[in-house]
Amino acid sequence: MSLKKLLKPFKLLSIAKKAGVVTVLYPYQKPLITSEFRGKIVIDASKCMGCGACANVCPPNALSITETEESVILNYFVGRCIFCGMCADVCPVGAIRVSNEFELATTNIDNLNTVLVHKLKGCVDCGKPFITSRMLENVLKKVPFAEKYINECPDCRRKRFINIVSARKR
Amino acid sequence: MADSVEETKRNLEEMVNVLKKYADNIEFVERVGLIVRVKKERLREVSRFVHDILDSYFRTMAAVDERPINNTFAAYYVFGKDEMGLNIIIETHTDPLDPEIPSISDLVPAADWYELEAWDLLGIKFTGRRLYRFILPDEWPEGLYPLRKDVDYNLRPVKPLARKASKQAPAGPRIPFGPYHPALHEPEYFELFVEGEKVVDVRYNGFHVHRGIEKLAESPRFTYQKVPFLAERICGICGFVHSVSYTMSVERAAKIDVPERAEYIRSIILEVERLHSHLLWIGVACHLLGYDAGFMHSWRIREKVMVLSELLTGSRKTYGINLVGGVRKDINKDKIQAIMNTLKYIKEEFSKLVEVIAHVPQIVKRATGTGILPRDDARKLSVVGPVARGSGLNRDVRKDYPYAAYPYVSFKVPVYSEGDNLARLFVRIDEVFESINILEQLLDKIPQGPIFAEKIEVPEGVIGIGNVEAPRGEAIHVTITGKGRPYRWRVRAPTYQNIPALKIMLKDAPLADAPLTIASIDPCFSCTDRLLVIDLKTGKAVKKTMEEIIKKKKVN
Repeated sequence: MSLKKLLKPFKLLSIAKKAGVVTVLYPYQKPLITSEFRGKIVIDASKCMGCGACANVCPPNALSITETEESVILNYFVGRCIFCGMCADVCPVGAIRVSNEFELATTNIDNLNTVLVHKLKGCVDCGKPFITSRMLENVLKKVPFAEKYINECPDCRRKRFINIVSARKR
Repeated sequence: MADSVEETKRNLEEMVNVLKKYADNIEFVERVGLIVRVKKERLREVSRFVHDILDSYFRTMAAVDERPINNTFAAYYVFGKDEMGLNIIIETHTDPLDPEIPSISDLVPAADWYELEAWDLLGIKFTGRRLYRFILPDEWPEGLYPLRKDVDYNLRPVKPLARKASKQAPAGPRIPFGPYHPALHEPEYFELFVEGEKVVDVRYNGFHVHRGIEKLAESPRFTYQKVPFLAERICGICGFVHSVSYTMSVERAAKIDVPERAEYIRSIILEVERLHSHLLWIGVACHLLGYDAGFMHSWRIREKVMVLSELLTGSRKTYGINLVGGVRKDINKDKIQAIMNTLKYIKEEFSKLVEVIAHVPQIVKRATGTGILPRDDARKLSVVGPVARGSGLNRDVRKDYPYAAYPYVSFKVPVYSEGDNLARLFVRIDEVFESINILEQLLDKIPQGPIFAEKIEVPEGVIGIGNVEAPRGEAIHVTITGKGRPYRWRVRAPTYQNIPALKIMLKDAPLADAPLTIASIDPCFSCTDRLLVIDLKTGKAVKKTMEEIIKKKKVN
């Protein structure tokens, strides 16, 4: 009985034999990732309209929107990304896709940045740039009535509205 | 069943009647508990009554700077009456200019750390005890309390010394190395005072990696839905526990009804996480005792769980599928089948491995009778998780304060009364099998339906408590809601409650047992650490890693 107990630890030999080799010779063999794995995100430049919904929802601020005089810049910095995929969930035009790419190490920090520049379209009245052309198309698709005022910048719209109201008062 | 409900009601009424003597105001808030508002002068009496006579455990304390709201500092002491599943929250306020609250750490020993933390971070003076710097680094300026609302979240008062670059730096990429070795575990620090081979006293010097997460969550760059991702990063092993705790605290405060299917999915992921964590710990315990074969095989089994969690959530760790109001990822038939297959594999392989481990002489002999935590001390310190259950306390949040889908399943809570390292090992082994059992029931019962709540509106200024039984004990989050983000978010990880118990476990024990004992509480700082051994006879300090001590078993 006690001998049987003493010999118990040797059972591990048969367990080990049965389990065999379980490690993979990565990178020579394929890594063990499943179909659901979330990796780096890919932004489709032909769909993105620069609305900034993704930057708004991004928990670590890996996606950021910078507005300059003439353009809207969407910057994706992989170094901060936590690969949660919230941006893909909220993107209204489905421009963001979560890929399963994870081999992201690099010796050049510029490789970690993806920059997307959207040129802004000018206002018909004052010429001030205010909207990306793709955003304009998208708004028109959803609200066809917007055609009447979409080419004016918010300032000019406000001015026109005030003018109309004050004209009526008189 | 009806009787017990009646009885609970009667007990509650009795309790309220007695508490009325002390309190200014008593309010029962559904899903949160009994809020007892007292003047700070009466805090000690009430605490003694609640802790000793009502026999409730101390769960957490949240100190809050409420000066912008009502011009006071507030402290919320959360006691839990396990048998009734009731939280008793003692709320007290103090003067904004000279905040002082009488200390209760002599009556409730578990409150010791909480008071020190509140003093460090909010500057609330606890009278009748010694206060010293506990969390903040030594070079932090005096009189600057980071959790106060008038301190910016991104304030950096200490200018770190610039590192000198070498004069002729060679071209090419540069890799910073240190101050901590990247391969070593998290920086936690124990000072063990020894006489020869015997440990005489223990001092803990921690919080080297205090990241100010609570303050960050209050900052304008966070919203209610961003904090779950931050909460998940509190711990590398049990991240989902914290994200569920946080979302639960907000949902309970705002009275959001989470769809049942989402609750089931949360429970499934929580149990999968427990499986991987326990398998990890059992492996580490084997490794610490020099039985590396057991370590390898335990982690071989664990790998299947990791792949499973990736399939279920999209990531091996930090799953990122939890939000206030529900979950982001549904599970389908294929995934349920995948879980079933993995469970079958784990059950088979793990029972074989356990049979071997339980008969390896070096494990059984080294774990038996070492690191004993007597039941009385465990009760006094309100320890949680396997540490409590190994010392004969029948505490499990899943049973006592039911949450998510746990009310719908039946399971046993393993309790051992020996209080030694072996008892804690057996608790965890039993829990692996219980987890498999729970998962099978959950998969069998999971209902159809939506996975996200329809309406999410969080009112301002309400308190909510979220608790989850993490693999290493109870994690509890207290959230006071604010505008768009938490006004105050108080996190308490299980290790916070368990480390003070180490002092009792290590005292008068041989030094060679210290590493296993420290690891036996499954501290959240992965597993083992660097220690400083001070020989009281010679006064010499020797720095050693735990592994060195184990190998040598002798300190010169």
